[in-house]
Amino acid sequence: MNPPEPDVRESGLSGSGVTAGRATRSTASRVVSEPNGPASVGPGSDVTVRIDEVHVHYRVYEDPVAGLKQLFSQGRVKRKHRIIEAVRGVSLDLYEAETLGVIGANGSGKSTLLAAMTGLLPLASGTIRGRSRPSLLGVSAALRSSLSGRRNIVIGGLALGLTRAEIEDRIDDIIDFAGLRDSIDLPMRTYSSGMRARLHFAIATARLPEILLIDEALSVGDEEFRARSVERIRELTAASGSVVLVTHNMGEARRASDRIAWLDAGRIRQVGDPDDIVDAYLASRSTP
Amino acid sequence: MDESTGADSRARRPLIDINYRPTAAAYMREAWRRREFAVVVPAQDLRSQNMDTLLGQLWHLVNPAMLVGVYFLIFGVVLDTRRGVDNFLGFLVVGVVLFHLIQRVVQDAAVAITRNMGLIQSIQFPRLLLPLATVTGQTLAFLPALAVTLVTLLLTGERPTLRWLVLLPVLAALFLFNVGAALLAARVGSSVRDLQQLLPHLLRLTFYASGIIFSVDAFVQSEAWRRAFALNPVYDLITAARWCLLGQPIETWTLVGLICWCAALPAVGFVAFRRVEHRFGA
Repeated sequence: MNPPEPDVRESGLSGSGVTAGRATRSTASRVVSEPNGPASVGPGSDVTVRIDEVHVHYRVYEDPVAGLKQLFSQGRVKRKHRIIEAVRGVSLDLYEAETLGVIGANGSGKSTLLAAMTGLLPLASGTIRGRSRPSLLGVSAALRSSLSGRRNIVIGGLALGLTRAEIEDRIDDIIDFAGLRDSIDLPMRTYSSGMRARLHFAIATARLPEILLIDEALSVGDEEFRARSVERIRELTAASGSVVLVTHNMGEARRASDRIAWLDAGRIRQVGDPDDIVDAYLASRSTP
Repeated sequence: MDESTGADSRARRPLIDINYRPTAAAYMREAWRRREFAVVVPAQDLRSQNMDTLLGQLWHLVNPAMLVGVYFLIFGVVLDTRRGVDNFLGFLVVGVVLFHLIQRVVQDAAVAITRNMGLIQSIQFPRLLLPLATVTGQTLAFLPALAVTLVTLLLTGERPTLRWLVLLPVLAALFLFNVGAALLAARVGSSVRDLQQLLPHLLRLTFYASGIIFSVDAFVQSEAWRRAFALNPVYDLITAARWCLLGQPIETWTLVGLICWCAALPAVGFVAFRRVEHRFGA
């Protein structure tokens, strides 16, 4: 069922303080907000990333049931595939010192958009420009569960581009932040999932990039750790960085974001004040 | 995080396309800045390999020693292929140990991209570090094997001469060759998954075409054919190492082949690898 306001896009009307309230249907294809006026927080201040009419397609190969048969009978080497249009024309500006929440159902293109912002995925069309290349928060792929937490801090730090010396400088802070003083020299596979998640977060945030992308990584650990996680991310926006936060947790989306973009089937449905967007999103889900 | 200057930079900077591809020079600088990654991570992986075994880290030494033992049993005791070689066991060990290193580098590098897909999809870094890490890792694992080789040579009656020192530049050439081979294997392995099935056969063919278990000089009569062996870089490297350690003869052709391969392969590998690396994560 189609929601009442399809394809409403609003990209930061300048000079309207933190956020423009309700999303309005823009008559122009896109409202461009140039850096102008007083540099306040949120829209109106400097743009750190500009996403312009971005399309991202995936090529998905079908299960080759009759691989050999196909090869011989039709002489066709190309495997059957289907093109998934994960992101279909997204335009969005990200501003200095803001946290932009991104919500939407599974498969709405949130994670793909994030991956595209790091330059890891080729774009089908459109451009993404930024002050620097945004980085995903996440280091777990580099870590080795058979090694100790301490060795993993070194490995993870190196993977993130820190030098040995920089890691040595921060290692105590990382251990303390993860709250793993007593078990840091045990193999990581002996950790509980909560301990592991805390260590991952502590390593991944040991040095924050200017533009940080977070995919469901703030909802780890207990209440106290979550509060500290949000605090650490706030340090980044306080230093004029930008954060994009993909989440399914609406409470977190309301609390942590300055603005929220609602993605639906690869397009932006609405952008604006966190409470308004979350309410609209929840309403659309409860009345199908 | 690569080229970003960190969160504390407040200067107003122009927006750049985030899909930019760095110049070869900038790419190399970034790879150099992150070089420790390609040393520490494979070293830690080697460590964790035998962590749960009884012999633990000793396996890195026992393994090559057993490899030598098996070859000695088969080719020194059961079969008799020592035709034309004075110290056949020494001859064999140098060849086997060097070939083993090259084989492991190529096999590991072929899956360096596919196996690290998670890392590639989450962190931006010069992907060159992944095949490079397989070279450094296997080179580290090779050092105990080299020690076993030298001990075997001493036990079989060889005495160190100044010529043994020439082994160092030969090993440097071997490293360069491995880097080039790893880059190419990683590049092909990233898109053609069939390579993994094909490699054992290609490597076995190389094994027999490199004169590891027989002396090419003694077995091949035709001068032209002997020269054709110089086209095989593995043969060139092993023959050069045997010249250093065992005083086996080496021809000019072989030396020329060695220098050409070790200079060209890393350059070709670098260009071929960089041309496709931006597609690895997709």
